[in-house]
Amino acid sequence: MKNHGEARGDAIRKIAGWKRRVELGGFIGPAVFLFALFVVYPIIYLVYGSFFSWSGVGTMEWIGWANYARLAGDWIFRLALRNEVLWALFTIFPQMFLGFILAVCLNRPLFGRNIYRAILYMPAVISPVVIGIIWQSIYDPYMGPLADFLRSVGLGSWVRAWLAEPQTALFAIIAVNVWKWTGWSMIMYLAGLQGIPEEVYEAATIDGVNVFQRVTKIMWPMCRGTTLTLILLGVIGTLQEFALVYVLTKGGPNHASELLTTHIFNEAFTLRNMGYASAISVVLLIIGVVMSMLQLRYTGSGKTARGVL
Amino acid sequence: MKRYRVLFAAVLVLTTLLATSVSAEKKVVTYWSWSPVKQTTDKMVAAFEAEYPDITIKATIYNYPDYLLALKTAAASDSLPDLIGLEPGAMTQEYRDYLVPLQDAAVEMWGEDWQDQFYPIGLDQARLGNPAGDENFYMLPMELQTTNLWYNRQLFDKLGLEVPTTWDEFKEVAAALRKAGIAPLVQGGADGWQNIDVFMMIAQQTAPGVIYKAEDGEAPFNHPGLVEAMRYWQELFTEGIVQPGAMGMSVYPNAASLFNAGRGGMISLGSWHMQTAKSEPPVPLSQGMLGVGAFLFPDVDGDGQPTYPPLGGIDFGIGMTKKALGKPEVLAVLDSFITGSGIQAAIDDFNDLPAVKGIEPNTFTTDHERELWAMFVDDWLPKVTAPRQLKSPEVRQGLMDALAAVATGQKTPEKALDDLQNAVGK
Repeated sequence: MKNHGEARGDAIRKIAGWKRRVELGGFIGPAVFLFALFVVYPIIYLVYGSFFSWSGVGTMEWIGWANYARLAGDWIFRLALRNEVLWALFTIFPQMFLGFILAVCLNRPLFGRNIYRAILYMPAVISPVVIGIIWQSIYDPYMGPLADFLRSVGLGSWVRAWLAEPQTALFAIIAVNVWKWTGWSMIMYLAGLQGIPEEVYEAATIDGVNVFQRVTKIMWPMCRGTTLTLILLGVIGTLQEFALVYVLTKGGPNHASELLTTHIFNEAFTLRNMGYASAISVVLLIIGVVMSMLQLRYTGSGKTARGVL
Repeated sequence: MKRYRVLFAAVLVLTTLLATSVSAEKKVVTYWSWSPVKQTTDKMVAAFEAEYPDITIKATIYNYPDYLLALKTAAASDSLPDLIGLEPGAMTQEYRDYLVPLQDAAVEMWGEDWQDQFYPIGLDQARLGNPAGDENFYMLPMELQTTNLWYNRQLFDKLGLEVPTTWDEFKEVAAALRKAGIAPLVQGGADGWQNIDVFMMIAQQTAPGVIYKAEDGEAPFNHPGLVEAMRYWQELFTEGIVQPGAMGMSVYPNAASLFNAGRGGMISLGSWHMQTAKSEPPVPLSQGMLGVGAFLFPDVDGDGQPTYPPLGGIDFGIGMTKKALGKPEVLAVLDSFITGSGIQAAIDDFNDLPAVKGIEPNTFTTDHERELWAMFVDDWLPKVTAPRQLKSPEVRQGLMDALAAVATGQKTPEKALDDLQNAVGK
């Protein structure tokens, strides 16, 4: 049996515990509320909406799993999935390597390097709509500057209707995307390179390491964190990509450059199938979550994150 | 201190009085649309507000995709504006439950014979897609349009070309333009709507009215006449009538810019292209419309007739939401935007053709401009019976896919239409 002093102590600790909980709740409460309102609720509503036939306004008709069953027979959906994979492969890695090479070049003392950095970074801050309009003109095989250039250097046979041919449309947009985001990758790698201690380079110089070895054995491995971040963000960016495709080709010709996002937009707003668009969005959400979890699990980013936390 | 208190109280009273008087005097009408463009809408609003100083219009003009999103969001949250811009058919039907039938208001505003004041095609299309037996007007047309081809008069004169009237002449003109380094028929094929316009103009000759029957399930999409139209569509690409890379180019801004810059000989647009006469910055080719001319799609079926009467219909209309019930000021705006100072301001800008008869621009800068206008509103528009629009978004999308597949060589005309029939045929 506790004496009066111990009981009083317990009571004070209990009150202090409650006060602590209320205090912590006060700190995280607003964030949890906003998260629930702007993330959890829309996701729940999205999943809910995917079981209905509706246009986004007016009455909703419950149709169970029919929207998901429809996915199996939707060739545009399958094409968009394939395009997502191609987009990820041909966007993330080229833009990463190009960014790394540019960062290595511009990490050295060089006259006007800040200007070069700014110029290379500039496409990343230009609106994709503006970029799309400009590149549509550049790609114009009839009177576009790219075709004119190729003809002027005797490569007229290389001129193609890049955006107009189903075989090349997606890759033409991917090239624009790589152009847009390479400068951003460069900035990320520059930050990574500047985090490498000078002593490491000094020790390597004493050991007789040449420039190639310095890049491949020191810089590249020591930028691993940046690389993983770029891959993770690249995958998320791939799943979110919309504006560039929409402006350049609207997913055409004949859906050849369709991504899941443009397919969702078309179903939701052009064809007014909000229920089916919701079902595609749920699939997109699942892909995004699974990809992120796999990456965190297998690339070690998760350990880093937990370590930081 | 007392002096400050008195001063504060005086300011408060004055502010309250002012606020009260402003809110009591100024009635606000909200209007959302994607069309006309903001510059023209601003002129319409200014014209209205000059006429009704006690009413303010809060107009918001979105680009089209954003507008669709804004409407859906507002409808879901019960925050639609008083007036909304509408397309006939699917869009109007989608928001039907939120809209007030307008025929009674029309009688009140324009009299019992109000329908006689409108061009017939506008009223026909205003009820497109209404449920059987529902004769309500959930939208009224503001502006109408026709579809046709435009040509560069300066280039044609320079190259000694005549406006083509037959398919063979069309190909000859295209060859001459190509030889001169000019894009013959500039097509923004990345925007499916322009592809549909061209196809419909051809199909109206090879199989008049069949596409609409096919949409209703009364004819197949692989009807021989439509297959023939699709073959002509294919020839546009295989014969080099359309510029290379057309399917990767959007109509606006790129294809239209190419034409306006004098680097294209012809383009498929419509009556709305007259607005380039008032564009800012000015389009030199369209000053007084002297550099351009309009013509109908040449004869392809050998009867000596182009696509006449042209296709056309509602460019955009306006609907009144239930939120606006009991607000006379909203009807004043509706009246102005359809028959009054508002639409006059838009027509002065050559925005497109008015839905009601008898409205014309206050000024023409050239005789050619006046002649073009007269051709649209006197010769073409009153004769329009075949709509430019298809009712069903699914059919529209399916046709766009079929046209793209044929244009890019992925499918034959027969295969594309067979697939269309299988996908959306009834």
